[in-house]
Amino acid sequence: MTAFTHVQPATAAGALPGELLAAYTEGLREYLARRDEQGLLRAYEIGRRAFGLGSGVLDMAAAHSRALAAVLETTPRAEVAAAAEAFLCEALGPFEVTHRTFRDANTMLRRLNDMLEDQARRLAYTLHDEVTQTLAAAHLRLADVAAGLPPGVRPALGDVRAVLDQVEEQLRELSRDLRPTILDDLGLVPAIRFLADSASKRWGIAVHVAAFLDRRLPPSVETVLYRIAQETLCNVGRHAQATQAQVWLHERNGRVHYSIRDDGTGFDAAAVADSGRRGLGLAGIEERVALLDGTVRIADRGGRGTEIAVEIPLESNDDAGECAAGR
Amino acid sequence: MQTEVLIRVQSTADIVTARQHGREIAARLGFSPSDLTIIATAISEIARNIVEYAREGEVSISLAEDGSRTGVQIIARDDGPGIADVRAVLRDGITTGSGLGLGLPGARRLMDEFDIASQLGKGTTVVMRKWIQ
Repeated sequence: MTAFTHVQPATAAGALPGELLAAYTEGLREYLARRDEQGLLRAYEIGRRAFGLGSGVLDMAAAHSRALAAVLETTPRAEVAAAAEAFLCEALGPFEVTHRTFRDANTMLRRLNDMLEDQARRLAYTLHDEVTQTLAAAHLRLADVAAGLPPGVRPALGDVRAVLDQVEEQLRELSRDLRPTILDDLGLVPAIRFLADSASKRWGIAVHVAAFLDRRLPPSVETVLYRIAQETLCNVGRHAQATQAQVWLHERNGRVHYSIRDDGTGFDAAAVADSGRRGLGLAGIEERVALLDGTVRIADRGGRGTEIAVEIPLESNDDAGECAAGR
Repeated sequence: MQTEVLIRVQSTADIVTARQHGREIAARLGFSPSDLTIIATAISEIARNIVEYAREGEVSISLAEDGSRTGVQIIARDDGPGIADVRAVLRDGITTGSGLGLGLPGARRLMDEFDIASQLGKGTTVVMRKWIQ
């Protein structure tokens, strides 16, 4: 049985201190008697203090239940319901503000990610198309020059050509690392197969891709899944001493399920975190998946390798608005 | 109906009055109960700001109209110390990592429109509006 570790951090929330719970109970009792704005402001200020102390919405709900139970001992039930609701809503006001803050921050992060991907895409296309065109022009000019030179000098020009070929190969590789054209043109599955082939060639691991998708996914989802494969396979190749890896991808009930596992010592968290210098890193993977409302789990398969399992809902990301492939 | 109220704000009691008027005007305009809470929250935050930093000021609450839309407009004014870097204050809670995102940026998130003008040593004016959906 595989032990899954939830990697997404749980938010720490603290129950309301006794003194604040007492203030809430007393405030609620008074508000029920007087039903005035002052009572609501009191609720709001209690919420603000609880919020400042690190309490969460659930702590507020729990405190409210306890206060309500205490108040109901002395007040007829029928009078309590509506007023208690107003009091609670007011106490939750500060939490609504943070909720909106995080939502805004999330939107900003998404936009930033889209912008970075778009930049990477434009750079990749420029390297791939324009810079290699310029190199081709250099080759042509060299050929012209070579024609006018005495035969004894030509081998030296051949060396220059070899250097240019090397530069071209490096540029193509850089372009693919930045953003493979295959991902935009043909989609996620061919792009992952291409990555798998490269990993096999580069590190000698057999990568098996089992993909069951009959359509293109939203661009933001394709991009993040591609980046995860890029990151993970690279780590497996470099650090895991694996001989095999498997990429598994399918869509079910409006969610995409995705996993990559290897049979090596595992891409231990430190190695993945370390790779953050160049790639996304584990934290980066988690953040980008979380932005799409998805989850990431890393499972240590007890000496039989490691698995990273990702799930992302598709409906909420359908128009997650990654900029269209622009050249 | 009374569609404009001006409240002098010097103490918590005045915050209560401002919230009360804001809630009443917004309720008569037809805002939903949860919008009333949101409007009261936004009023609390800007009025609190006045009491905390400028000691005194005023809040006016009125009807807002813009073509086919109606809503509520809240203007807060004070002659307090002013804000040196308004943008930094509004970023609080997202990029600075400090503060809780309440205060002025919190009020901004709760309302549909939010404008602020501030001058060091001269004071601060905040204009915010919320439209009925």
